[in-house]
Amino acid sequence: MSIYCCCFLMTTPLALTLLLLTPLTQSHQFQYQTDEQFHEELVVRPLAGDHVNTYFQFTTRWHYGSQSNLYHTQLTPRVIAEILQTYDVKELHIGLTQGLWRYESWGYPIVEATGGAELWAWFSSPNLTNSSVNKQWMRLANVFSGILCASLNFVDNTNSIAPKHIFRPQFMESGNQSQQFVRYATLPREIVCTENLTPWKKLLPCGSASGLATLLNSGYVHNTKYHSLGVKVRTLCDSDDSNNCIVELTQTANLVYDLKLLEQSNTDFSLRRLFGMGLNGYCELATSSKIYVQRNEQGERFQLSPQPQQELISTVGGYSVLYGVYDIQQQFEGPGARLFNIAWVGPKGNSKREQTSAPPLYAHRYLLGNGQKHGRIATEVINSHYEPLPVVLMELVPWYVHAYLHTLRICSKPQHLHEYTTSELKFNLLHYAPGKQRELPTHLEVGFMLPARSSALITIEVDYLLLKWLEYPPDANHGHYIGSAVISSQLPIGRNYTAMPPEGHLFKDSFNASRATYTLTLRTEALIVSLPTPDFSMPYNVICLACTVVALAFGPIHSVATKLIIVERQTTIPRNLLRKIVHKLSNRFSRRSAPAVAAADQQQSKQDGKDKGIPSLLEQQLDQAESKKPRDKQANM
Amino acid sequence: MLYKCLLLLLAIIQISGAEHETSVLPEAYVDAAQRSTHTNNWAVLVDASRFWFNYRHVANVLSIYRSVKRLGIPDSQIILMIADDMACNARNPRPGQVYNNANQHINVYGDDVEVDYRGYEVTVENFVRLLTGRTQNGTARSKKLLSDAGSNVLIYLTGHGGDGFLKFQDSEEITSQELADGIQQMWEKKRYNELFFMVDTCQAASLYEKFTSPNVLAVASSLVGEDSLSHHVDPSIGVYMIDRYTYYALEFLEKVQPFSKRTIGEFLQVCPKRVCISTVGVRKDLYRRDPHKVPITDFFGAIRPTRVSTDRINVTLANEEDFVNEVAHVQPKKQFKIIIEPQFTAKILK
Repeated sequence: MSIYCCCFLMTTPLALTLLLLTPLTQSHQFQYQTDEQFHEELVVRPLAGDHVNTYFQFTTRWHYGSQSNLYHTQLTPRVIAEILQTYDVKELHIGLTQGLWRYESWGYPIVEATGGAELWAWFSSPNLTNSSVNKQWMRLANVFSGILCASLNFVDNTNSIAPKHIFRPQFMESGNQSQQFVRYATLPREIVCTENLTPWKKLLPCGSASGLATLLNSGYVHNTKYHSLGVKVRTLCDSDDSNNCIVELTQTANLVYDLKLLEQSNTDFSLRRLFGMGLNGYCELATSSKIYVQRNEQGERFQLSPQPQQELISTVGGYSVLYGVYDIQQQFEGPGARLFNIAWVGPKGNSKREQTSAPPLYAHRYLLGNGQKHGRIATEVINSHYEPLPVVLMELVPWYVHAYLHTLRICSKPQHLHEYTTSELKFNLLHYAPGKQRELPTHLEVGFMLPARSSALITIEVDYLLLKWLEYPPDANHGHYIGSAVISSQLPIGRNYTAMPPEGHLFKDSFNASRATYTLTLRTEALIVSLPTPDFSMPYNVICLACTVVALAFGPIHSVATKLIIVERQTTIPRNLLRKIVHKLSNRFSRRSAPAVAAADQQQSKQDGKDKGIPSLLEQQLDQAESKKPRDKQANM
Repeated sequence: MLYKCLLLLLAIIQISGAEHETSVLPEAYVDAAQRSTHTNNWAVLVDASRFWFNYRHVANVLSIYRSVKRLGIPDSQIILMIADDMACNARNPRPGQVYNNANQHINVYGDDVEVDYRGYEVTVENFVRLLTGRTQNGTARSKKLLSDAGSNVLIYLTGHGGDGFLKFQDSEEITSQELADGIQQMWEKKRYNELFFMVDTCQAASLYEKFTSPNVLAVASSLVGEDSLSHHVDPSIGVYMIDRYTYYALEFLEKVQPFSKRTIGEFLQVCPKRVCISTVGVRKDLYRRDPHKVPITDFFGAIRPTRVSTDRINVTLANEEDFVNEVAHVQPKKQFKIIIEPQFTAKILK
């Protein structure tokens, strides 16, 4: 017998899935050590000016066998693995950022990002063509717009370019080298909020249920000065064996807290203060779960409580950084108190703060010119190093701003001078793809050697286009964005350099990773241009005004044009005696009630006056009383 | 003539006889007809207005979002459209939070929110495409209304409206006719079982006037010629927090639990004129069930009728040893050296 029940427990499917998952999670413990690994890392670096940089990195690395097996993922989100295959993506970077990284005071970030959304991807497959890559690129952006709740679906041919020199692949292909395609796009207007953080956290094997990701609470992530979410996916294949590959997913969250905004008087801070809650353990699926705390430079000022279990020195390019390391798995597994919070206790009453030396290379960007017709985009690159540095700059100018290549200038000046001299630097490298209205953005890449201790000003003149009525966004007066320029260089020293080497996948891999040179990528500020924006209420105003004017003009003109004007001759006094009297009386009343009457009447009344003499006061009163009578009658009628 | 009259009389008798028959239908049949036949729930929640001073509209839509999510509709079946970002707006002194009340009772934005269409994506075109299922090629799955003939769909709209239209982003409008056509198309394409249409805007009742599709129950915050009013202002952010109708709707929904016996009929009376100031308009003529017998969770929750069987069912469980063996026999993959090509273009150095 079957019974109908109106209700259905929502918890039942949950319990069911839990039951189903139990054997699987058990099997993980066997497998993740060999094939699929997940690592979580947190780096805390005190920065100059009471700022603290916290950097989360979650790495899922899957050493898979044959391609056909890619759909059966365990720790890697299936959607990522599926996308890699469907769209022939070998490498993908997505950044969602709010705020501006201050290179001059904070040094270089571990992961570079620009304000708004930025994404680039490498495609590689035997049968790919440029147009098919364009299609796949748009579909890829669409998929990620759904996954990350961002408006990445606005990525299309009008704002995407194929960078030529600035990006190099960070993936490895096996054997036969098929053609590689790269696409890059930015959406500087994109906002980043909880709706992006939530799905980003859902890509993690433990979600936001346990591990370091529990520290990322929306209220405490979005009160920062700078926050950046990143997703990086790449494939690494054995050059000999196409069935021996690694899929690597790196999710990063880079935050900069301003301690002054955390409502506290002193410079002390703790994980609990920063994130609103303490550690609650590690992700059970993680192979390693570690916190790195920078102890030197700005970190020198702070006492740590509790003390780190381990300290290590990393020397990169002649510069050493001291890190304190907390292994959370040991802290929670081992005997003794569980690690719940880490506190940084600053010195009391110490107002002097050590200033960090400016990094070797940094850049700024701004707009020159006035008015809403022409302008100049100026990018200033400053080299404070004692050696010349190679610099490659990439500009992506949207189609509504028209750039002129012949106006491209690179002026330089020694660092101590204020004015740029007329001497121009010659560029060693130039790639220019002209833009096309409503179809293609302008793509410019220029490379040059920047002399030691000097700065370069790269300017290009632009025209602002007048858009069509419907092309303006709803908030047209906010202005239109030009995405940031990307600057790439090669540093001979490791000062302020914390980026990971491309072959590494953990933050740990950047320790002691001395190389001959260090590739640096910078992002400048994004620009807002105010395109000539019409007053959108103007048509309405014009209609109203024009209608009023027409209506006002129409009345008199119509009456003048249609009415026949007949000059009425002055009427003589009627012959009939009775009528004469009525006429006289009416004339008199009309003179009383309306002072301005026809001249003829006036003349007549004068004659009357002569006849009768000046009417006495009594007569006037009588007249008034009489004149009321007909009015009363009218009212009664 | 007489013959014709006779025929007419006969017809009348027949009709009255038929009427008599339906009124004595067995109660079980009537009950069955009253019981919902839906198999899944979807919600389309739209805030159509941009700019900071329209904070209240975002709070409105997030209030409903919060309720449907709390009552069990998963994020994958909620399409949330928000035309502007209030939570992370630079003007918001409490980043990442949107409240329904100046006393900050409920953070309607929450810590777990997925906005499917946001900013410039909230357009009339996208909304109509979403309803009618004519999304462009390559649209992400989370941006599609994948409902079917068994879906109960809740549509909630808020924004600035007038007689027969609702403004989107201050730059375009959806008319009541377009809405009615969209819903008719949904019905023809079997995209809903029952549809609950809620709208909180000025002259809201004008938006459902043109509906002709069956199984649609509509409620509007104000009648034609009336304004919908906001509830209260928060001096710390300088704008109105929420609209009256949604404020009281949320107050009601907060008391609803997944198994409560509250009905849609009660929900329709949630904001009497004394508190709402505007008159709440209801359109029931297209809806065949009695709202007082429809549980509110038919539209705001994901609870559906389940058949409980007492029969014996054989379920073959997968052999756990197979899993373990499979794992045990995994060959460790051959490690290889990772070589990445130089990250800086070498051409410039020449």
